[in-house]
Amino acid sequence: MSLISDALFSDIMFYAVAAAMIIAALITITAKNLLQSAVFLIVSFVGTAILYLMLHAEFIAMAQIMVYAGGVVIFVIFTILLTSHLGESSLNIKVPRNFIAIALSAGLLFTLVRFLLKAKDIQVATPTASPDYASLPSLALRLLSADPSGFIIPFELISFILLVALICAITIARKFKGEE
Amino acid sequence: MTLEHCLILSFILFAIGTCGVLRQRHMVGMLISIEIMLNAANINFISFAYFKALDATAGAVFSIFVIAVTACEIAIALAIVVSMYRRHHSLDVNQLRDLHE
Repeated sequence: MSLISDALFSDIMFYAVAAAMIIAALITITAKNLLQSAVFLIVSFVGTAILYLMLHAEFIAMAQIMVYAGGVVIFVIFTILLTSHLGESSLNIKVPRNFIAIALSAGLLFTLVRFLLKAKDIQVATPTASPDYASLPSLALRLLSADPSGFIIPFELISFILLVALICAITIARKFKGEE
Repeated sequence: MTLEHCLILSFILFAIGTCGVLRQRHMVGMLISIEIMLNAANINFISFAYFKALDATAGAVFSIFVIAVTACEIAIALAIVVSMYRRHHSLDVNQLRDLHE
C-alpha cells in the first residue's frame, strides 16, 4: 500500500470500475434473456454508485443504490416475470437492424469523443468543488431554501409528479371490467 | 481520474444505451437501455459538478431530479407494458401500431 500513491490508487480503481460498468452494460444490451440483462443492469448501477463515491457524492451514491438498484431494477424484474414465461427466448433481431444500430451508436460515440478531445480546458484532475459539495446538509439546505438560488419549487413539483405518476401507473395497469 | 476520463466513460455508456434502444425489439429491453442512457447523463452531471462547476451543489441537486424523474418514467412505462401485454400477449414494438390510431 505504501508503494502505491493515493492518486495512482484512485486511478486504478477508476479504470477497474469503468471497465466493469462498460462490460456489464454491453452484456445488458446483448443478453438473450431479459432477466439476465436486468441482473447485469444492477451491476452497472452499483458500479455507477462506486464512481459517485469516488467523486465524493455520498448521498447521490446512496440514492443511486436505493432508487435504481433497489427500486427500478426490481420493478423491471417484476414486470418481466409478469409478462413472460421463464426460459422463453427473446425476440430475434435481424442482422440489418443490428448493423444499423451498431453503426449509428459508434458514429455518435466517435462524434462526441472527437469534439470532447478538441476542448483543452477539460483535462482537470484537481476538483474545484469543496469536499462537502454533495453532503446531506448542503444538498438539503439548497433544495429547501426559498432564495433565488434555492430549488424549493422544483422540489415541490417533483413530489407532485411522483404522486401523479403513481396514480397514472395504477390507472393504466388496472384491469378494466370489459377485459377478460 | 480526470474530468475527461469521466466524460468519455459516460459517452461510452450513452452509446451503448443508444445501440440497445435501436436494436431491441422487446419493449422492456428498450426501457432497460434507456435506463443506461439516463445513468450516463447522471454521471455527466456529477463529474462536471465535482471537477469544474462554479456552483457544485446545484449540479448534485440536478442529478437528484434526474433520479426522481427516472423513477416516474419507469413506473408509467412499465404500467403501459403490463397493459399492452394484457391486450396483445406480445411485447414486440413492431406490433405497437394501435398506439397511434
